[in-house]
Amino acid sequence: MALSKDELKAKILEKALTGPKAQLYVKDFYACDPEAGPRDVKNAANDLVKEGKMTFWSSGSTTMYAAQGRAKDEENR
Amino acid sequence: MPKHDTPLLDELEKGPWPSFVTDLKRQAEKKPECFDILGQLELSFRDKITHWKHGGIVGVFGYGGGIVGRYSDVPDRFPGVAHFHTVRLNQPSSKFYSAAKLRDICDLWEKYGSGMTNMHGSTGDLVLLGTTTPNLEPLFYDLTHNLNQDLGGSGSNLRTPECCLGRARCEWGCYDTQNLCHSLTMHYQDEIHRPAFPYKFKFKFSGCPNDCVAAIARSDFAVIGTWRDDIRIDQAAVKGYIKGEFIPNAGAHSGKDWGKFDIKAEVLDLCPTGCMWMEGDSLKIDNSECTRCMHCLNVMPRALRPGLKQGATICVGAKAPILDGAQFATMTVPFIEINPDTEFAEVIEVIEKIWDWWMEVGKNRERVGETIMRIGLPTFLKVMEITPVPQHVKEPRSNPYVFWQEDEVEGGFERDVVEFRKRNAQ
Repeated sequence: MALSKDELKAKILEKALTGPKAQLYVKDFYACDPEAGPRDVKNAANDLVKEGKMTFWSSGSTTMYAAQGRAKDEENR
Repeated sequence: MPKHDTPLLDELEKGPWPSFVTDLKRQAEKKPECFDILGQLELSFRDKITHWKHGGIVGVFGYGGGIVGRYSDVPDRFPGVAHFHTVRLNQPSSKFYSAAKLRDICDLWEKYGSGMTNMHGSTGDLVLLGTTTPNLEPLFYDLTHNLNQDLGGSGSNLRTPECCLGRARCEWGCYDTQNLCHSLTMHYQDEIHRPAFPYKFKFKFSGCPNDCVAAIARSDFAVIGTWRDDIRIDQAAVKGYIKGEFIPNAGAHSGKDWGKFDIKAEVLDLCPTGCMWMEGDSLKIDNSECTRCMHCLNVMPRALRPGLKQGATICVGAKAPILDGAQFATMTVPFIEINPDTEFAEVIEVIEKIWDWWMEVGKNRERVGETIMRIGLPTFLKVMEITPVPQHVKEPRSNPYVFWQEDEVEGGFERDVVEFRKRNAQ
């Protein structure tokens, strides 16, 4: 892993906040650090959810990630 | 909440079978939102389209699975089901729970939800249908603190592992399915509760090839008990069956008079590989040809038992028909010892090799079986460091070209074309 965990988290959050797609699959974050393993990326993204900076969106069969406030929120539509 | 006219649903109460419509009407006396379920379903029957919206961001803190957000797209007409989230509870191994435990769960669900349940879901979960977002955290608190019960898996997570009754109740169990299921559930808590994969991933554990939890059809990772030595034969019991002293199939098909037991017609001729025969009044089996269909053991359980060198076969990649149709799991590891003394390290090693590969190369929303189909079994076996055996081959190759790996060809694929032309020029 070329980036530290904090650097990776910052890149993931940046992508979630500024990317054209509001909701992203975990694989979409792999490009944030091509040298990081899939588990490192997954753990970093899940940490951001625990910290309240990102949220999960789930259809029931698939889960996606989004920056807080960017996910499609059926409750408030 | 008012009752709705439901003429189409009412038709479902007319047959001789139990009706969920009747159940819902009864439940609506206590939980009026159930009238709105009936009303919305009637509307769906008329419109021929679902009125549930797809997904959401609901969950409990720290968990990325176990709650499935469900919202009505006609909440003004059916406010009782405006939110109607599903909660999945991790069932105990083999679904061994007491009536008292079930009552406690039902009481909790009457308190926080609609009271409707679905037991059991495809992965074996206790499925609780219909609650609102504000009720989720209090429900989760009571569930974990008072009932010592956890949520199951949903989304792109490891789904709730499931196992058959195994050795707890079954003489054919070739390993302790409950122990393996429970141990891996505890080992992979993070994968169950937080998304990790391109798509869902399911474990199922069957103690013998009868495969009572349908692991080979319904799980990405099927661990099916087997044996690697010979089927144990009690020749005296074989004679007992032939003489009619024992009821075949342990009486399972005794509702009709099938006539005298005929070992040739009912066992030998039905062996898929024809590996059984009689020599006088002794039953013989060519065990090297046995495919573990279990038919003979099922018909004559007193006479035939699995061998003593027991373990499991691991099959990978079953799925339901979202893409490319349904597929069975592919036999990957022919035999593996299931050893609790190593905390199942051998099984864990296989699982994590699969995950590492699939997480890397699997596409979004692609089950591991689809990844294997797309990339090819030879590559998958290579990744798994498994030497192919004839049982990995589905059918003889019809393509006439031979594809070698470069390191299998002397001199590799590099060659001097000029030198080649000198010798082969026309």
